[in-house]
Amino acid sequence: MPDELVSLTIDDVQVSVPKGTLLIEAAKQAGVLVPHYCYHPGLPVAGVCRMCLVDVEKQPKLSIACATQVADGMVVRTQSDQAKKARQSVLEFLLINHPLDCPICDQAGECELQDFVFQEGRAGTRYTEYSKRFNPVEDFGPDVLYVPNRCILCTRCVRFMEDVAKEPVLNVSERGDRAFIGIHPESRLDHPWAGNVVDLCPVGSLLSKDFLHKARAWELDKTASICTGCSQGCNVTLDTREDVVVRVRPRPNLDVNRYFMCDHGRAHYRWMNRGDRIEAPLIRHGGELRATDWDEALDRSREILKGARGAAVALVSPRASTEALFLARRALAAFEWTGAFQVVVGDEAPLAGVPNLALRAERAPNGKGAELLGYTRAYAAAVTAAQSAAVVLVLDDPDAVVKTDGALIYLGTVLPPVAREAAVALPIANVAEEEGTFVNRDGRVQRYFQAKPAPGMARPGWWALGELLPEAERPASAADAFTQLAAAEPAFAGLSYGQLGFAGARTTRGAGAGAGVPA
Amino acid sequence: MSAHPTAAREYQPVFLGKTREQLDTILKRYPNKQAALLPALWLVQEARGWISDRNMAEVAEVLALTPAYVKGVVTFYTMYHQHPVGRNFVQVCTTSPCNLCGAEGVVKAFLEHTSARDLGATSPDGSWTVIEVECLGACGFATPVLINDDFIESVTPEKVPELVRKYREGRR
Amino acid sequence: MGYPHKPHPKETAVLSKHFGDAEARSYKGWVKRGGYEAWKQAQAMTPAAIIEELKNSGLRGRGGAGFPTGLKWSFMPKEKKKPHYLCVNADESEPGTFKDREIMRWTPHQLLEGTAIAMRAIQAEVGYIYVRGEFTEPFAIMAQALDEAYKAGILGDLKIYLVRGAGAYICGEETALMNSIEGKRGNPRIKPPFPAAAGVFGLPTTINNVETLAAVPHILKNGAAWYKAMCLSNPKSTGTKLFSVCGQVQKPGNYEVTMGFPLKDLIYGMAGGVPRGRTLKACIPGGSSVPILNREETESCLLDYEGCVEKGTMLGSGGVIVFDDSADMVYQIMRLARFYAHESCAQCTQCREGTAWTTKILQRILAGQGKSTDLDLLLDLSENMTGKTICVLSDSCAAPVVSGIKKFRGEFEEYLAGRRRPVVAA
Repeated sequence: MPDELVSLTIDDVQVSVPKGTLLIEAAKQAGVLVPHYCYHPGLPVAGVCRMCLVDVEKQPKLSIACATQVADGMVVRTQSDQAKKARQSVLEFLLINHPLDCPICDQAGECELQDFVFQEGRAGTRYTEYSKRFNPVEDFGPDVLYVPNRCILCTRCVRFMEDVAKEPVLNVSERGDRAFIGIHPESRLDHPWAGNVVDLCPVGSLLSKDFLHKARAWELDKTASICTGCSQGCNVTLDTREDVVVRVRPRPNLDVNRYFMCDHGRAHYRWMNRGDRIEAPLIRHGGELRATDWDEALDRSREILKGARGAAVALVSPRASTEALFLARRALAAFEWTGAFQVVVGDEAPLAGVPNLALRAERAPNGKGAELLGYTRAYAAAVTAAQSAAVVLVLDDPDAVVKTDGALIYLGTVLPPVAREAAVALPIANVAEEEGTFVNRDGRVQRYFQAKPAPGMARPGWWALGELLPEAERPASAADAFTQLAAAEPAFAGLSYGQLGFAGARTTRGAGAGAGVPA
Repeated sequence: MSAHPTAAREYQPVFLGKTREQLDTILKRYPNKQAALLPALWLVQEARGWISDRNMAEVAEVLALTPAYVKGVVTFYTMYHQHPVGRNFVQVCTTSPCNLCGAEGVVKAFLEHTSARDLGATSPDGSWTVIEVECLGACGFATPVLINDDFIESVTPEKVPELVRKYREGRR
Repeated sequence: MGYPHKPHPKETAVLSKHFGDAEARSYKGWVKRGGYEAWKQAQAMTPAAIIEELKNSGLRGRGGAGFPTGLKWSFMPKEKKKPHYLCVNADESEPGTFKDREIMRWTPHQLLEGTAIAMRAIQAEVGYIYVRGEFTEPFAIMAQALDEAYKAGILGDLKIYLVRGAGAYICGEETALMNSIEGKRGNPRIKPPFPAAAGVFGLPTTINNVETLAAVPHILKNGAAWYKAMCLSNPKSTGTKLFSVCGQVQKPGNYEVTMGFPLKDLIYGMAGGVPRGRTLKACIPGGSSVPILNREETESCLLDYEGCVEKGTMLGSGGVIVFDDSADMVYQIMRLARFYAHESCAQCTQCREGTAWTTKILQRILAGQGKSTDLDLLLDLSENMTGKTICVLSDSCAAPVVSGIKKFRGEFEEYLAGRRRPVVAA
């Protein structure tokens, strides 16, 4: 049933929004960002920062856009003199006790206090000759520091822990201008989703120890990606500085992770920067692997496939892209095929306040994709079958322990013991270095993008595997590979790489369609 | 911290026996446990004289809250002591109406006649703490003073020595 | 009755008739004085009839806002689907006000009777009387009275509980009080929803001030017309009101007068005027949160809701603070600002930061280090603190500052020009 629509005017722009919409959200549709601090779409409304005061016609006083519901015929002015003065005064009040230590603050450059002061604050302060409030930095938990002097008491962190994590370990302590965010000395901010408070903090008051002083915000390049920490498939942004991944942060997707990600996923990026990578294709000469170029390595691989008959076994990583998994199977199409993968399992850690959101026990992003493509979890059986197989293909599975009488083709990012037995070892890109898709546990196909170049001669897995196909069938791009996949595999029928956009789509035909590209 | 001798001492819960019964009676007045928080904190303060972090953790456990939540509430209300205070806790109203009637002189007299010396400090023998408080709600009886739970009206600097003597001798 | 003084002939003692009479405290003593007759009468009436009677009486909330009581009660759902609650606001903390304290100390059953009638009118089975933590004596007296009333069986199935506050002025704000009952920090809530829709525990709630409820039995007993007829000026302000007179007067105390009574007669006639040899300089007529009146305004102000508005102030809670010519208005205003800074709950930015900043500026002026721009700055901050926050604590801090600078600018300027000796340390 469609929602009842309400029409209103915001800064002379007419918009129609569902009844019950908050003014601050309706304004976004009119292209107006009403400055705000305490409001966050993923948290209950607090209405305390008073920053989003706007002028609503026929109302005697200014209204806060975050707690005012739209009404038919409402006329809203965010830029009236009264509203601007009120917001300017809030900024002035917020700044009187703020240290303005932006040069050493991690938030600088992505700070909402900086941004809104720049946009509509006063040029100077009138709070002269008084000392500023001072409280020492506090260690809240494994990855979170609290810098109370920068705090504007928006209470987003408190509300996240109370209403979303359902574990209120943070509080507002004391009152008046003595207030600060507090914690009980016997407790720690160590909830598996606690790191979100750092993202939610609009200023540099809650800091990640992991990211502390690692980069200035403006040095970071941001790339849309998918978390590889588990099968939930949280949408994330990879922040890179000089081609090094330095931070992973959640990217909003209301259908998957809303605005959040867990600490396990957040910390799960260091491997993307590993220095011990294979940087050139390797082929076996006598007893040892020797570096060569792609032409020779691919020629050798094609020869192996052409010359062999019988059984082929693929041992793949559930972190490999759907495209690579698909092409790995196609490359072995002439064989009697067995494909398997293994998944590391850990404790499940749900985010209590959001349905169907958890750090999943299966710590891999693409187990579902592998399954849809025919790979099984019968990993031990596959390893046994590998013994007598004509060809064994290992796709970025460094933990594989395999003995085979056949030929071993290894594709991977590093050179684990298994690769040393290979006839050919091909260097491939990791998730940060290529684009592709993963399928999360709910069957949602989601794209990730390339954040940095692959080292040396490493190429995306889909490319290396595609090169093993007859020349006419080789995909020219990841998109091309996905198109082939969608045409060949019923589970992916009807999906197009372009339409997956930044939000993804469900594999079942029809469900979750219309996935848009967020602005 | 653990090297501190008092920290090593085993914690004695407040909510046992009669105090627990009192809390159970209070719990019946509300549709949820959280609502018993203020009364529970009063029971702790009655029993222990102040509310320690460990007490807050106990209250949290008893009422199915978190220690941090309890601490947030304790720090909001000025009558809950977060530190030990003197056996005689003196609160002198100094808000405008009482100020007009000489409340500051009353404060001074209390600081002089007890050995508390400074506002908020406790006398060396642990018997007195004197603080200024905001409006006690008895402006027509300036200057009202709360000594422990006794509400005393119309205190003047002249009456202070006698009051101090009375409380010094009397039990809390 | 002007407790602790002898009754003044111009008083209209209704609520305060038994102040100072310790016998009236007991259940028996109260019944002997006609107590609980109105409650018996109410039990024979429908809730709608009680509300109608209250509406006709013209009784308005005595806590400060002056909202019509009968109308407020009528906002409760007529058809009861969920539990209803009554909260009694006995968190009297407004500087200058001490009337509810006396009602509870001398006539606890008067409050219980009004509470019981209100609970019947709004169909509540549970009522919480929230008494400020510092009121140890009124709390003990109320507890005793409640005990006696239950023992006498007069309250029937009604469940009335006392809740003790713990030191927070802001809990006198109705939604902060509800949060406090729920075991939370006393933070005012954003409205809507209003209490009649979602109050304490998220359920339909009515909240009334002690004095409001204490008037209810008299209205039922004597009739709405009787109450309504007690009116000296504006017909929208009816009945009697307790005024707490304090500060620099000879006979501070509570005086009960008919609405519309001249402020001048209250101060000079009943409270004995300012100390001998002094002259009246200023007056805050409705508790510290309302604008200050100068002498001329004080002497021409009529004590009802409209009369005060006419003078640019408010009737508020009826806490009359009197200043004589020896009062340092700058210091007194600083002292009030400091009160609000101390009591701000910390939620809204303007209030949290503004009350403290305002206090600092005033203290600097009093230290002889004020700047010529400070008064304009204070006025601008006050404007930024008015009408922009969840509750009116911030506005209340601004009111004495703005009216004080407007009416006593000379005193501020003397400090700024160095003509007055600094009274606080820099």
